[in-house]
Formats: sequence, C-alpha cells, structure tokens
Amino acid sequence: MRIPVVVKVGAFAVLVMAAYSGFANSIPQIESKPPQELSLEGGNVTPAQLVKAGGEIFKTKGTCEICHRIGQKGTRAPDLAGIGARAAKTKPGMSAKAYILESLLQPGAYIVEGYPNIMPAVDKPPIALNRSEVWAITAFLESLGGTVDVTLNDIPASVGAGGAAAAAEIKIPGDPKAGEAVFQGKGTCIACHKAGKIGASPVGPDLSQIARIQTPDYIMKKILDPKGAGTVANYPPGVMPQDFGTRLTSKEYVDLVAFLLTLK
Amino acid sequence: MPRRSCDFGNKLVFREGFPIVTYVQRAVWLLVACGVALIVLAALPVDAQTAAQATKDPAYRAFPVFGSRLAVWAVAQLHLNFAAFILGVPIFAVIIEAMGWRTGEARYDWLSHELVKLTFAAFSTTALLGALLLFLFVGYYPKFWAYMTSIFFPTYWVYALLFFAETFTVYLWYYGWNWLSGPRKWIHVGLGVLSNLFGTAILVVANSWVTFMMSPAGIDDSGALKGSVWDAMYNFTWMPINIHRLIANIVFGGTICAAYAAFRFLGARTAEERARYDWMGYIGNFIALAAFIVLPFAGYYLGREIYAFNQTMGITMMGGFMSWLWIIQAILIGVLFLGSNYYLWLGMERIPGSERYRKYVPPMLIILTVGFMIWATPRSMVVTLDEARAMGGTHHPLLGFFGVMSAKNTVVNLMILTTFLSFVLYRRANKIARKPWAKTGMVIQWAAFGAAAGVVVFYGVYGYFVESIVRIGFSVYQVLAVLAAIVLVMAIDIPMFKGARTTGQIRWGTIAPHSQYVLILLAVTFTWLMGLMGFARSGIRQHWHVYGVMRDTSVDAATPALGYAANVITLVTLAFFMLVLFIFWLGGLGERGAEAHGHAAPVIAGGRDAER
Repeated sequence: MRIPVVVKVGAFAVLVMAAYSGFANSIPQIESKPPQELSLEGGNVTPAQLVKAGGEIFKTKGTCEICHRIGQKGTRAPDLAGIGARAAKTKPGMSAKAYILESLLQPGAYIVEGYPNIMPAVDKPPIALNRSEVWAITAFLESLGGTVDVTLNDIPASVGAGGAAAAAEIKIPGDPKAGEAVFQGKGTCIACHKAGKIGASPVGPDLSQIARIQTPDYIMKKILDPKGAGTVANYPPGVMPQDFGTRLTSKEYVDLVAFLLTLK
Repeated sequence: MPRRSCDFGNKLVFREGFPIVTYVQRAVWLLVACGVALIVLAALPVDAQTAAQATKDPAYRAFPVFGSRLAVWAVAQLHLNFAAFILGVPIFAVIIEAMGWRTGEARYDWLSHELVKLTFAAFSTTALLGALLLFLFVGYYPKFWAYMTSIFFPTYWVYALLFFAETFTVYLWYYGWNWLSGPRKWIHVGLGVLSNLFGTAILVVANSWVTFMMSPAGIDDSGALKGSVWDAMYNFTWMPINIHRLIANIVFGGTICAAYAAFRFLGARTAEERARYDWMGYIGNFIALAAFIVLPFAGYYLGREIYAFNQTMGITMMGGFMSWLWIIQAILIGVLFLGSNYYLWLGMERIPGSERYRKYVPPMLIILTVGFMIWATPRSMVVTLDEARAMGGTHHPLLGFFGVMSAKNTVVNLMILTTFLSFVLYRRANKIARKPWAKTGMVIQWAAFGAAAGVVVFYGVYGYFVESIVRIGFSVYQVLAVLAAIVLVMAIDIPMFKGARTTGQIRWGTIAPHSQYVLILLAVTFTWLMGLMGFARSGIRQHWHVYGVMRDTSVDAATPALGYAANVITLVTLAFFMLVLFIFWLGGLGERGAEAHGHAAPVIAGGRDAER
C-alpha cells in the first residue's frame, strides 16, 4: 500500500516534536513558584528563629544566592562569609546592622571594590521583601560572624511599602462595617486576634496593621486555608479553624476581607 | 476531462470522474470543524458572564477546563506563528519580485506570486487569532488588560489604522498582480514595499506592549504613566525585540516556504513539478539560512539589554531556573545548523562540477558537530550529593570549561563561519572564475575566513583570563570579525564569479527525496524553537504580569517547568501545522485552473523530461 505523502510528512513532524518534548521532560524539572509572604510583626520571635527565617529568604524570595556566595568568591558579588563582623568596620561610625540595612535598601550607597553596581534594592519590586523579611535577612547576615541585635524598630516603616503598592490592588466589593461584625460575631476571630481597638486576645497575631504588612491575596488565602498559608512565627500551628470556607457565606467572607483590608 | 490516467487505481479514477464526492466529504468535515469552533467560541462569553455574576469586579476569570493561562498561551503562540509568517514572507517576496522585474526572469515573478499567495491565505487566520487573543485578555485577565490600556490606549488606534493600511495594500498587491504588470510593474513592486513597511510598523507597535511587560519604562512607583506613551514604548527591550523578531520572521517564513515546497516536491507527479519545487525549496532554505546566520547576534543584543534593564532578570534567565532551557535551545540550533548544511551538501550532488568541493565536507561536519556539543554543554548540573562529591562540585572538572559563555560564543561564531563556507562552496559549485585576479581573490577570501576564525578563537581563550564584565565585551569583537569576513568574502565573490565558466546546469528536481525531509525538519524545529523562545521571554517575568509593577496573583502565577512547557509547545506547534496545511489546501483550491489566469508556472532548468 502506498502511504500518502501527508501521512509520511505528518508522522515525521510528530516524531521530531515528540523527541524535543521527550528530551525536555527528561531533564530536571524546576518550577518557579511565586514567593510566600512572611509576617513576623506582632509575634515574639527569638533571634534563632529570625536567623532561620532570614536564611530561608536568602535562598528563596530574596534571590541573593544568584550572585552572592557564603565562603566562596563570586564574580558578580562579594563573598558574604563573615559579613556580620566585617560590616561593623566597613564604614566608620556605622554599626553592622546599619551597614547591612543600607546595603539591602540602598545598595548603590557603598560599592565593594572590584564589583559592579548591580544589586537591586531588596524592598522594591521585583524582589519586594516586606518589613518582616528585611528584618529576618538582616538578622541572618549579622549572624554570619557577628551578633544578632537587629530589632523590628530598626527597619524603617517605609520598607516594603512599594512592594505592597505594586502588588495587584484588589478592590474587594464587601462592606467593611459588616465585616467587622463578622470578625466579632460569626467568625469568632476576636477570640484570638486583636484588630485595632477591637479585641485584646494574645492567642493569635495582632492584626491591627495587617493590611499594611500583608497582601490581599495572603489575607484571603489565610482565612480559607490557614494551614496552607503557613503559621506566623512563635505561634502554635493548627489553632486557627480550617472551616471558614464552609462556615461563612461568600458575602460574609468578602465583608470580612474588606474589613481586614482597612487595618493599616 | 480527467487529468490522470487510470494506472493510479480505480479509487482515484472514481474521484477524478466524480469530484463532487470529494468536495462533499471535505465540506462535511469543514462544517463539523466550524461547528466545534462555534460551540467553543460561544462557551467563552457564557462562562465569562457566569463568572462575572459571581464577582462584580474580578481580577481574573477561569477559562473552562484548560485554565486561562493555557488558553492565552496557546492562542498567543498560534497568533505569533501566523503573524511571523505573514510578516516575514512578504519581505523576501518583494525582493524576489523586484529581482524578476529587473532581470526579466519569469520564474522569480512566479515564485513571488506563489509566496504572497501563501501569506494571503494565512492573513485572515492571523487576524482571527489576534481578535481571539484580545477577547481572552479582556475576558479572563480584565484587570491586567485595563492596566495595559491605561498605558497604551493611544497606540491601539495606531495599530488599527496600520492594520487597515496593511490589509488594503496586501489585497491590492495580490489582486493587482496582472493589472499592474508590464510598464506599471514598478507600482506593483512599490505596493509590496509599502505593505512591508506597514507590516513592520504593526510588529513594532505590538512589540512595545510585550516588551513593556518585560522591561517597563516611563511609569512612576504606582505604575502610572509619567510622561507620554512614547516613554513606555521606548523601553530597554523594545528595539532588540524589534530587530530579533524581524530577522526571525524572515527565517521562519523561509523555512515554512521551504517546507511547503518540500511537501509539494514529495507529492509531485512530473519532473517539471519536482524541478519547480526543488528550486523553491532551495530559495526558501537560502533565505532562512541567510537570515539565520545573523540571528544569534540579534539574540546577544537582546540578552545584553535584558541585563542592562535588570541584572536579576538577566541572571534568572541564564543562570536561574531557566538555565536548562538554553541547553534545549542549543540542541535545536545545532539541529538547524547541521540540517541547513546537510541540505546544501545534498544539493551539491545535483550540480555538475561540485565533486571538487566534497573534500571540505568532513572537516566542516567535524567543526559543526564539536561546536554543537560544546554549545550544548551546561555550566553547572543539577546533581545528587554523591554525584557532586564525585565530580568535586556542580561543575565538571573538564567539561565545565565548555559551559561558559567564552566557549559558547566561540563555537557559535565558528559554526556561522562554517555554514557561510558551505554556502560559498554551493554557490560556486558549477562555476569556474575567469577573472585574471581570481587566484588572488580566493587567497584573500581564505585569509578572511582564517583571520575571522583566529579572532574568534583568540578572544574565546582570552575570555577565560578576564573578569566577566570585560569578557562580555569580547563577544562584540568576535561578531564583528565574522560579519567583516562575510562582507569581504561576498564583496570579492560576486564580481569574481560574474561571467564565470559553467561546468554544467543545476539539475533541479534530481535532489535526493530525503533532502526534503531535512527542509521539513528545519521548519518544525524552527517553529518549535520560536515557541520555546516565547516561553523564555514570557517566563523570565516569573510571577509578574508587568515585571516589578503588576504582580500575577492568579492561580497560574507559578512559572511551569520545562517539561510542561515543552508539551504545550509541541501541541501548539502541531495545531499550527495542521492549520497551515488546511489553509494551504484552501489556497490550493483557487489554484485549480489558475494557469489560465496568467500565472503559469515557469519551466525550471533540468525539469523538462526532454532534458533529463
């Protein structure tokens, strides 16, 4: 039987593409996931926890490892081994934490000799670390040969504002007033959280400034999937109920989110 | 009157005798396909409305079954494939037409008409896919599209006007072929030039949108436009993408035309037809190859501008989660280089006198193969701890040296030089120069090749001993050396072989049939490569719609791994070729009996039965 040209050519083309696809599937598969937001404000965090969180940000959301190495000279950026001790001596009159913070937030202010001025400000997009994250990464860098003494108060309040503004601004159609009622009533949030003048419970993190330090999508996800969104440092995991998605009506949910977004 | 004799079998005779049966069958299939398409199209607004009722002002809506990202991805890739084809082909079609006009050779006019006919058939599909893409953005990514509109609204009008201008010019160009012939041919060629200018302007406007998403400019911290829309258009990657896409479109158009010719060659029933499509395939491949040689340079320019815009983005692209993508790209480009050269070497078999150049094939093959292997060597591997310990790190102690840009820049430039040499040998295969200075000319040509290779290798090796910032600058010297050699060799070659003695006529149509599969391989590979590069361009934004300005907060915010991307690219490429086949078939319907309309295919040398 004579095979039509279209069949032969088609089979050949499919074979070629299958080979390319097969190869692409045979190599290591790396997905680039959007970074998670870390919130440490309102929690009692130990230096060890802070350093651990900072180390994680160094490798993930901070994307520091793309250029910096610890204990290895990089071609694009300096070796950060011992930076905690070195930072205190780099600029006269400037403490280690002040120098590290300046390097993170205004990288062009001081350029280490032999390296190009290529570092982006970590609190601005696309890295856009929030205030908690800058706090944690500063602590991590201080821990590399120095003493961790950075506090949340050392981090300027303006840090991360750009990132939050840059994130998609979602206008929630809910009613904040009705949401406040859900917070105090059906949602029973008040049993664990403080929200401005409402509530005083220390069981869960203080939400008085939640809209300033967190993105709307995090807040929405945290209500529906508290476990999946992660637990704020120094708070016990698994306390927040998992059933808000079924317990609240969609209107109540939207109202609650609208209320939380007013807490700045 | 039946055109075929009965030795093709009863079935064919029946179809020839009763063509209405075939048409009815085809019409039924066409109707079924249209019906399915209509159902899908009708489902979209219904679904969008349902979603809209659930939330009043949503940032996203979910496309049924596949998800919004996949829907946008597939339609965007298809639209870009068709757009590249209809923008790329007319560029060389008008040049070929002008060649026919100036030389008076009918075959060039025929080829140009044939090429425009192919693009003409694909024109409406491109527009349809563009409209569908817009609907998907408006319906499923309303917030993102509203933001883009807030920046680029004035350009929409320019785009629409250019589209009208382009459409009417192309229509006039195509339908006026006979009307504007003879003394009015210059007007016709002018129309071709004009349609290309409009087409390129459309490309440039659309590129400003897509490059703004990659490297936004002209906006304040809140993302609002600061000055005029021009500030947003003139961003870091706009010009490099304009140049890269323009060249890539020509390569793409060339490979698709060559594949079309290959398909027709394989199905040809007469020697004349085979000769005609062999020639067309050669021209298509020649155009693709000529443009392909300069494409890597445009790619480097784009890469440099990405780094200039944002180091993090550049490093993510080359050294982050996308690093393996460049290994796949290297393999595809290696296939393109090897395939193009192999086709030229096979083509030399049909040229009397080419035997004297056979000895050059093995060394050229070695350079291309070694170059291909070095280019495909990764800098660092994703390995297990045990493997890393055995290797002494993530870099292989020996092969790791080939994974850096110094080695890759060097081999790609040598591969370009080798491919150019293949072309030069092909060009002179049946010619013997008679100019008195021919010997000196050839010595200078070989010296130009040697000097360029020397410069490329020197800076390649030197690059290992300097800082990266210095090394990046070396690639410019390497590129300039290769380009200078190409220009110099051709500047000598053209006058040197003018009026040359011929060793025999090219026997068009006698090329080995498997050479046609090489042309199809090139078209499939380049189309797939376009899909991959589209994924790279879009993927380096990661979880941003507009990098650093508007974050992707949808369920599809994660950038998928290469395996998933490759599967999508394969399926979309398959869909593209099926659509192309269908469109070309539709275009071919009008061809039946067209010879009476004044575009009879010319006889190509070596194609007549009498000459065989």
